[in-house]
Amino acid sequence: MKPAPFEYEAPSSVEEALRLLADPAIETSLLAGGQSLVPALNMRLARPERLVDLGRIEGLDAIRDENGALCIGAMATKRSIERSALVAQKQPLLHEATGHIAHPQIRNRGTLGGSMAHADPAAEYPAVAVALDAEFRVIGPSGERRIAAADFFVTYLTTALAEDEILLEVTFPERPAGEGVGFAEICRRHGDFAMAGAAATARLEAGRYQDARIVLFGVDATPVRALSQEERLRGEVPSEALHAEVAAAIGAGLEEPPGDQHASPEFRRQLARTVSKRALEAAVARAAKA
Amino acid sequence: MSPTRIPVRLRVNGRPAEGLAEPRTSLVDFLRDELDLTGTHVGCEHGVCGLCTVRVDGVAVRGCLMLAVQADGAEILTVEGLASPDGKLHPLQEAFAEEHGLQCGFCTPGFLMALHELIDDEPNPSEEQIRDVLGGQLCRCTGYAGILRAVQSAFAKLGASPSTESGA
Amino acid sequence: MAIEIPKNLDGLPTSQRRFVGRRVRRREDPALLTGRTEFLDDIKLPRMLHCAVLRSPFPRARIESLDVTAAEALPGVEAVVTGEDARRWSHPAASSPDGWGGHCLAGDEVRLVGEPVAAVAAQSRAAAEDALEAIEIEYEPLDPIVDPFEAMKPESPLVDEAKGTNKMLDRVFTWGDVDAAFDAAPHVFRESFRWNRVGANPTETFGAICEWDPMSLELTVRGSIQSASHFGLGRAAVFGLPSNKVNVIATPHGGSFGGRGGTRCTDVACLLSRKAEGRPVKWIEDRMEYLTAGGSQAWDRHYEVELAVDADAKVTGLRVKLVDDLGANGEPYGAICAAKPLAAFTGPYAIPVAAYDLKLVATNKLPSSPYRGMGPPPHFFVLEQMMDIAARSLAIDPAEFRRKNFIPKDAFPYTIPSGNEYDSGDYEQVLDRALELADYAGLRRQQAEARAAGRLFGVGVASAIEPGVFDWNAYAIVGLPGTGVPEGATVNIDILGMISVRVGFAMEGQGQYTLVSQLAADYFGCELEAVRVVPMDTQSAPPSFGPGGSRLGVAITGAVLGACEKIRGKMTRVVAGLMQTEPENIVFRDGKFGIPGVEGASMSVAEVAGTMLARSDLLPPDIDPRPEATHVWTAAGRTEPDAQGRAKSYLTAAQSVHVVAVEIDPETGQTEILRYAVVDDCGTRLNPVVVQGQLEGSVAQGIGAALYEEYVYDDDAQPLTTTYMDYLIPTVNEIPELLRDEVVTPSPFTPLGAKGCGEGAIHTTPAAVLCAINDALAPLGARAREVPATPNRVWNWIQEAGDGNQTPQGEGSNG
Repeated sequence: MKPAPFEYEAPSSVEEALRLLADPAIETSLLAGGQSLVPALNMRLARPERLVDLGRIEGLDAIRDENGALCIGAMATKRSIERSALVAQKQPLLHEATGHIAHPQIRNRGTLGGSMAHADPAAEYPAVAVALDAEFRVIGPSGERRIAAADFFVTYLTTALAEDEILLEVTFPERPAGEGVGFAEICRRHGDFAMAGAAATARLEAGRYQDARIVLFGVDATPVRALSQEERLRGEVPSEALHAEVAAAIGAGLEEPPGDQHASPEFRRQLARTVSKRALEAAVARAAKA
Repeated sequence: MSPTRIPVRLRVNGRPAEGLAEPRTSLVDFLRDELDLTGTHVGCEHGVCGLCTVRVDGVAVRGCLMLAVQADGAEILTVEGLASPDGKLHPLQEAFAEEHGLQCGFCTPGFLMALHELIDDEPNPSEEQIRDVLGGQLCRCTGYAGILRAVQSAFAKLGASPSTESGA
Repeated sequence: MAIEIPKNLDGLPTSQRRFVGRRVRRREDPALLTGRTEFLDDIKLPRMLHCAVLRSPFPRARIESLDVTAAEALPGVEAVVTGEDARRWSHPAASSPDGWGGHCLAGDEVRLVGEPVAAVAAQSRAAAEDALEAIEIEYEPLDPIVDPFEAMKPESPLVDEAKGTNKMLDRVFTWGDVDAAFDAAPHVFRESFRWNRVGANPTETFGAICEWDPMSLELTVRGSIQSASHFGLGRAAVFGLPSNKVNVIATPHGGSFGGRGGTRCTDVACLLSRKAEGRPVKWIEDRMEYLTAGGSQAWDRHYEVELAVDADAKVTGLRVKLVDDLGANGEPYGAICAAKPLAAFTGPYAIPVAAYDLKLVATNKLPSSPYRGMGPPPHFFVLEQMMDIAARSLAIDPAEFRRKNFIPKDAFPYTIPSGNEYDSGDYEQVLDRALELADYAGLRRQQAEARAAGRLFGVGVASAIEPGVFDWNAYAIVGLPGTGVPEGATVNIDILGMISVRVGFAMEGQGQYTLVSQLAADYFGCELEAVRVVPMDTQSAPPSFGPGGSRLGVAITGAVLGACEKIRGKMTRVVAGLMQTEPENIVFRDGKFGIPGVEGASMSVAEVAGTMLARSDLLPPDIDPRPEATHVWTAAGRTEPDAQGRAKSYLTAAQSVHVVAVEIDPETGQTEILRYAVVDDCGTRLNPVVVQGQLEGSVAQGIGAALYEEYVYDDDAQPLTTTYMDYLIPTVNEIPELLRDEVVTPSPFTPLGAKGCGEGAIHTTPAAVLCAINDALAPLGARAREVPATPNRVWNWIQEAGDGNQTPQGEGSNG
């Protein structure tokens, strides 16, 4: 179980990485933390001719506050995100979700950018990015551009990143005061990819939903935002019955949940209900306290 | 097809080491085949079992998910570096022996290295933190009971005791 | 001179037993903890090559063409072999049932995904894998045979045309007048069950380094091999070599649990070595190879079971129909897993008659391998569910129903209908302790409260037998010959009194080298460190099977103590000569030979050994002066099987009761284990800490089988569980804390009264967990009839019960 041969470059600047990536003569993959790519290499499922390792570029792993927004470099490890007081304070949903990803030994190497660019539909970070309206700063031969999370995840393992582009940073806008967040996932074992999961945010005003957001993962090719149910919650008084109704509608509304040996499409629909409800309830509980 | 081998220079267990690696060579294969440090084992080569866990610049990582060339310049600690040169076991190793934390012993180096990071990071870890780390390591022999006992005992030996609230 | 091996701990010649029966730290550990133990893949031999194997991507296909010339021409490639080489240089492998073995590389047809079709030896594993990609091969895919029931139909295509059938075995065994028992029974319970494939998954995969010496025509195989002697005999047969020209060197195992397999690729590496002019060839099975095509899979079973119960709630008869999908051939001896239940067919119960309708069926899946417990775990899963079904129907507490049907403690030795004899036990005491330990009454109260609140809370009480010290005669019905499984040890004392013990098996994790040291140290009154344990290759070792069938602890105890006794006998003669008395006046105790009551008449073992080796002038005439002896132990009283497979086979019968409480989340189908209590009786515990470790590990594997682990194939016989992302080994977070207690009923038949205990809890755990799940689901009318009880399955069962259309789970749906 050894990878097919490839060449290896470890540029020290983004410019150099872009130059390497732009060479049409050689099929190149970017290497971030390697926690998804290297298994695929070992199994010879991925067979790039060259790897360009972003690990030697200074400054790509910064976690910083920019006018209230949280900017996290693509090469920041999940471990550093998990341990960042800034993340915990400014983006509690991101902090909470990080703890659900695999185990410390994986989070030590796995990066934010790697997860986003890999776009596994069962992964936590893409859903969190959609829930938090994150923005992806990417750079290509013709300069930088920004992609909204809602546009970033195209389909199964596919993003809006062009082949010659590099993800530099993900920006999480400052959260409104009083917002509560919730996160729930159902896995076969602790730390596994989720059969279904949900991230939620909620804000209340005078005991009613001012707004809410629910984003599911593991139930379709990309994170799924429950737009119509978010709409429905607005102005309503949170209650168990309401949440159950909304969750049921979310489950029923899924287009075509995938089936595999762990969960049939029907069961995923059911789990989507459960995680939606749990995430929403958690968000409301925190919002009420906030 | 004779892939180029690149020099890799690093420090292992406090000593300089170097060897040649194809870009595709994993860190664990490099340690085992090129540096003859066979104490780190290979279990799945896709990052799940944790047998190949070593510390790279202080953090516990999967040796099968890191390329040797990525470790150029790094400081590596492997199971061979835990005991004192005079053969005295590290308190963690001692605890595993005392509490029957190993049977076949094949997964043990990975457990030790993952826990070794925890010891450095968290002198007084919660049960949840312990389980988070242990959850990333597979053992097929012990059912983890002896390992949990060993971890409790190791932290006790190291002068702190993990809280016992029921965790994850 | 007859050898008297002590039957209990007091029989050891020591007044202060320091090691045997005590919690002794393992001598194996320091090397393992420091990474110094040399496992197979740590070995580098001069000029060694590395092997990679090209495997079939199809479950059933004809090979239209195969061209390896491009691969052969690649730099670094030293040899390539195909089915042609296998046919030229080797024979089909032995199998169970007989005749279901093949060549190590496919010929014209492949029969499973992962079947080896060609292999490369190159300078590195990576280079060998590169060369596989240069092999040109064309397949014509054929419709695979997937379902064993379809496979049994006359119109089914055949896995192996030459056999003329897909039924590897089709027999009914009847033990007693079963029909009469069922006719007379006021209550008959029937149910179907499904046990899906699970397997061993030692953390070290299999591997071998093979050297074919072209000059001497000798074969040397190093490998992480569970039974080296049998492995060697198998290679001799495959390559047509005299058995003394095959030497097997077993390396320490990174776990085993029966599932190491790997004979085919070992033989491939042998062929490659032969082609590469004798250069050693290393083959290391990678994890995907292990999961897809290794010794990884066991027990693919469809059951129909009937239980007859009389008016007094006594079980009067058991009928078990088993269709066991053995996969594409019989080479890994998975068939013995279907035979082993004969050793404990009726479990801990006094069920007077039983019948076993056994069909072993070939399909295009991975051949079934042994796995810890070797077949009884699924058998007890179904038996224990039947006990609960009966108890529930008769409104009897499941614990009391079991108590009522237990073999009483004064009935031992007890012969069960399928012929085996249980040595000893006190099942009621074990049950009582378990109920107390688990606070069974409290759990039932908790359950009542939970149910009142609409929660799904269940309690399972299950009991099973662990047959220990296996015997070949238990497997006669699937074609294995022979009675008795000899295990030898050679104890040697050197001129300075230091002891070494030579054994024929590699270290595997059960602390056997520590046990050998404990025995020799207590026997001769020395420190553990004074004993060296030396594993031998198969050409040097005494007869040995090694670990397997929960036997080695008992067997090696017999072998070591027997050899010690022989040395004592010899030394006694020497000492008697020196002390000018008769041997019967000499007493050996605490490491000293002496004459009771005679002051100063005392010699240490070292003094006697030194005298034997350096003072021939003082020795009695005709004595062999070497302080060494070999003893080969084999279980006494084993019998030849009759036509219905009945024999005294497994020597010991350990018993256990597990009490489990679970709560099920009806929304997610997840089962949480809230309490897990085990009480077991495996006789004398030779190293209690090791016994505890075996139990804890076995519970974890049982929980894996009950809730998480499953090899899944799609409808086209493609394996879907080829990585550890898919095949779910429990982590620390899936295993509950164990409450443990023990009862000790020494075996009257074994050295020191120990019983086999290495396989242990997996006999009972899946049964107990499923009993608890069924108890939790009972108020809904939902029934769990399939393992693993995955969240998806549990949720399905609840939905089906809610829809009022629940059907027996027997169709192998994967959920």
